Amino acid sequence: MVAGRVLVSADTGAPAPAAGASLSIAGSGVITTSGIDGRYALENLPVGNVTLRVRLTGHRLAERTVRIRAADTVRLDITLQTDAQLLAAVLTDARASDAELFLSKPNISTLAMSAASMTGVPAVGEPDLIRLVQLLPGISARNDYNTGLNVRGGEADQNLVLLDGYPIYNPFHLGGLFSTFMDATVGGIELRTGAFPSRYGGRLSSVLEVTSAVETRPGLHGNADISALGATGRLAGIFGGGRGTWSVAGRRTYADATTSLFTNTIFPYHFSDFHGTGTYALPGNVNVAVTGYAGRDVLRANLAQFESDSVVTKSNRGQWAFDWGNRVLGATITKEIGDRVRLEQKFSASSFATTLDLGGGAFAQRSNIGDVRAAGALLATATSHDVSLGYDVARQRIRYASGSEQTGSNDFDIEQRPVTSAAWIGDMWRLSSHWLVESGLRAEALSGRDWFALSPRASLKYFVAPDLALTAGVGRVTQTLHSLSGDGPLRYFDTWLASDSFIPVATAWHYVAGVEERVRDAGSVRVEGYAKRYDRVLEANPFEDPRVRGDEFLSATGLAYGVDMIARWQPRTGAAGWVSYSYGMSTRSRDGVTWAPGNDRRHDLNVVGTWRMSKYQLGARFGFATGTPYTPIVGGVTRRIYDPSTDRWGTGDPTILIESIGGSRNSARYPVTHRLDLNASRDFMTRGARVSPYLSVANAYNAPNVFVYLFKYSTDVPTRRAISQFPILPSAGVRVAF
Amino acid sequence: MRGCALRFDGARLLLMAVAIAAVSACEVEKIVIAPPPRELALHGVLSASAPSQVVLLERTRNGSISIYAPSFDLESALGSDSGIAEGKARVTLTTPDGQVVRAIEDVTVNIDRSGTGVYRFYLPGSTLLRGAAYRLSVETARGEVLTAETSLPGGVTAAVAEPATFDRARDTMMVSWPAVAGASSYFVRIETPFGPRSFFTDSTRIRLTGDLRNVELDALPRVFIPGFPQTITVSAVDANYYDWFRTHNAALSGRGLINRVTGGIGVFGSLVRLMFKDIDVTAPQLEPIAGRFDFAGTRDEGLSTPYVQLNLYVESAASRSDQGDALSGNYLKRSTLSLPGCPVCGLLGTVKNGHVELAFLRAWSARDTAEFFTGDLFGDTLVGRYRGAGGVARLIRRGPVTR
Repeated sequence: MVAGRVLVSADTGAPAPAAGASLSIAGSGVITTSGIDGRYALENLPVGNVTLRVRLTGHRLAERTVRIRAADTVRLDITLQTDAQLLAAVLTDARASDAELFLSKPNISTLAMSAASMTGVPAVGEPDLIRLVQLLPGISARNDYNTGLNVRGGEADQNLVLLDGYPIYNPFHLGGLFSTFMDATVGGIELRTGAFPSRYGGRLSSVLEVTSAVETRPGLHGNADISALGATGRLAGIFGGGRGTWSVAGRRTYADATTSLFTNTIFPYHFSDFHGTGTYALPGNVNVAVTGYAGRDVLRANLAQFESDSVVTKSNRGQWAFDWGNRVLGATITKEIGDRVRLEQKFSASSFATTLDLGGGAFAQRSNIGDVRAAGALLATATSHDVSLGYDVARQRIRYASGSEQTGSNDFDIEQRPVTSAAWIGDMWRLSSHWLVESGLRAEALSGRDWFALSPRASLKYFVAPDLALTAGVGRVTQTLHSLSGDGPLRYFDTWLASDSFIPVATAWHYVAGVEERVRDAGSVRVEGYAKRYDRVLEANPFEDPRVRGDEFLSATGLAYGVDMIARWQPRTGAAGWVSYSYGMSTRSRDGVTWAPGNDRRHDLNVVGTWRMSKYQLGARFGFATGTPYTPIVGGVTRRIYDPSTDRWGTGDPTILIESIGGSRNSARYPVTHRLDLNASRDFMTRGARVSPYLSVANAYNAPNVFVYLFKYSTDVPTRRAISQFPILPSAGVRVAF
Repeated sequence: MRGCALRFDGARLLLMAVAIAAVSACEVEKIVIAPPPRELALHGVLSASAPSQVVLLERTRNGSISIYAPSFDLESALGSDSGIAEGKARVTLTTPDGQVVRAIEDVTVNIDRSGTGVYRFYLPGSTLLRGAAYRLSVETARGEVLTAETSLPGGVTAAVAEPATFDRARDTMMVSWPAVAGASSYFVRIETPFGPRSFFTDSTRIRLTGDLRNVELDALPRVFIPGFPQTITVSAVDANYYDWFRTHNAALSGRGLINRVTGGIGVFGSLVRLMFKDIDVTAPQLEPIAGRFDFAGTRDEGLSTPYVQLNLYVESAASRSDQGDALSGNYLKRSTLSLPGCPVCGLLGTVKNGHVELAFLRAWSARDTAEFFTGDLFGDTLVGRYRGAGGVARLIRRGPVTR
């Protein structure tokens, strides 16, 4: 046994306890985390010389060689040195890094990244977490205009996105162009693309956990980022003698304000975010953490004001009002009971709401989802087992309605109040120094439908060598919330409906096998093969009848399989980055017809590199991907309207509407896409603050990547036009950190 | 109307997204593609109020003919719309009692040889049986066969329009009709100068406020335009009509339309007009430009002026200082044999700082303009010039229109 304390140097120079430091024995799978007082204990160690590694974000890795004797306890206090490179704007990441996950868990299909490793990656307009996640293996983005995640052949609604453990719905702005996560507020992410542990449920394809950044340094610290699109600011600090932390951040785009300030043109759109966190360590090893987020997109246009032409007035035009946004408020209470037992209780309320109102009540459509949730877990650590069990109860309130206030007509109004409940148990078994076995069982039930399911999960890791492991996993996953968004190239946001007596529960099985090798302390290579069999997957029914409840979705079966590879190099200094490659095949079948979903992408390669020098930081990303499927349009039919007042046929409108006629579903593919993004920044130190102007260029060589094809059959030579994704797109801004 | 609304919502959002994308996206390639085969397209509705039943037969668009969208000719629904009419087909209707009626193609009877692809059954709507199946069969000259079937809803046909006056600033119209057996839905349609506002409802009662906007048009103009007569109809429709007209194919996937025609694409539905109103839309005439303006001039001038009276309303006040107010109303033609068409027709225009521009419509549709007028308001006198007819016109404001 090795026991002792992890310490860091306080401002006074005196050692202070370091909570949350990760301690592991290289090649053994033994890992623990230091407590609030910095104390730790590592047990069940192999006899002989072992390497103890201690990590704490913002500090240098510490390694100590310790000689273990049978039935002996080695006392060892370790003082960590601050990492000067990150001192100016450290974002402490409480999550285990990829290296710890490698040692401690099978971590099937799991990738962890800290905020530090995400900086410097080229951005498009605004640094964006979801766009960065799209560069990881197994994740495919349909196109540049979409931040929806398609994970291993799954649709974008099959991803559970958690902010500090609380679900967040539709975390996107501007129809999917940006995510709601402000760069400065993100401490780290953990992405699971398959065979999840039993504590995760509710989605078929992935779990993205975003952890808020927590400030641990004394004093007031802040970040600001002013870009061409908007401004972001964050303030953070500690209180209560270091027992508590706080942070608040906000962002707003200002194209609407600047456009009207300098031109006669109206740009009637902006979005805003607010994010706040607080943590406090109470006596008795009780910790409380609170997270709040609120975001809003506002698109309100008086069409009459769009034109300044005084000859032909537009004053008879109407108004658009299109708002949407999400909110999250959550609290987590944890209590450490001794060194081996941890209790965790979460409460959260999360919501997404959107309203489209045309013509001041002539037509309004609204979609809301509210989610009130309680979740708890008990984690007990023993010599060779980490046993966890927990529950998750959520009540959702869903409403999807459409009508006209002006005509007093109601097109439809669906209201659902499902309650989902789950209980789970998991076991992490350190079978030997070579084997890690993680197993679990998740029991789930849904009100409003006599549905109950048991979902087994299992994964294992075999250490061929201390830095080389083979992994395998299997698990069943279910999904009771479904999006009415279609399979098109643009996904504005998801309109949710829950499984009920009409809408079935979607289910799938994950099978994963892989190999992972750590290359010294900073690098890793992982190759995973996967298969995902959809027993039932739902898609919006394009022919649904609003008078009929239960025809909102069509059910299909599906299969996705492929290989994901990632090679990462993440030293504390110098060049860092990763190469990811995914090969995937995905199909859906219904009524004897098989097609490839719109996200099916055969090859996807991303090369990401950042170089930090003394004052400069450079970043580059190159992406190459084969095309996704689309349905070719094979003609058009004129929409002719019958006028009951004259009993004659006409077009019914000043313009002739031609309806596109689709060919075989997704029977053609867009061409390959490739893109190089570049980023450069320079640091200036002034009055204790770091000021970093930056310049990013997306699609630096202006590759003509195809976004969609538009077919035209109304001219005497039919044509197909290709509309581009991002052309060369420079953006600039300045970051300030103190 | 979830299906329709969903697609509508999607279409609007797609427009928004494309607009956003258009900030940066651009056309990177344009190629000529091979014309695909042309399918048969059918547009047929049996109407209980129609004097005869009309079926349109054409080919789908495949890029072999350009659409120029000339003025639409009701007598040549396909030809004037650049449609690819399918002529010389054998089109028959099997009635519920087993009789087979053959349609006559208009081109074979019209003196001007118009009406190719327009097939007419000389069956008055009043003779159609309710709740019984009518089977349509089409055989083209090339031997292609197309079939469809419809069943007329019940209900009493509203044959004659009820007149009414509607002050859009003050009135709210409650419209109701009886429930009808066999109706899949009720189709409400309001004619406007800019295109109809139409929607389906399952209810038998709607409320129409004066500030109703037309959400079928991108500009969201108001539905009720002062100075215009506007028709409101409510029809009971069968499932084919409802499903075809409530659905659309998504622009990028070409999926969504519910097609129940075998052997081609289109609709063969039926409807019964249950409610029929002709309303004269008015509004308060409080502004200097609003009111009745009579031609003022010598007797000789009066004999040559083409237009003798204008009734003007401020349809929408300007929403920014550099725009004009939108005007609407109607004009009265001088009685003469040389000016065919309606004696009173619609007009639309603008006024800004007393400067007036008016478009005299050929009838009541904004897409057909007969004449333009440009002038200025001096007190109660409007002085200006017609673009086509020429000459100076002077009109004196006589006050609000009285009814």
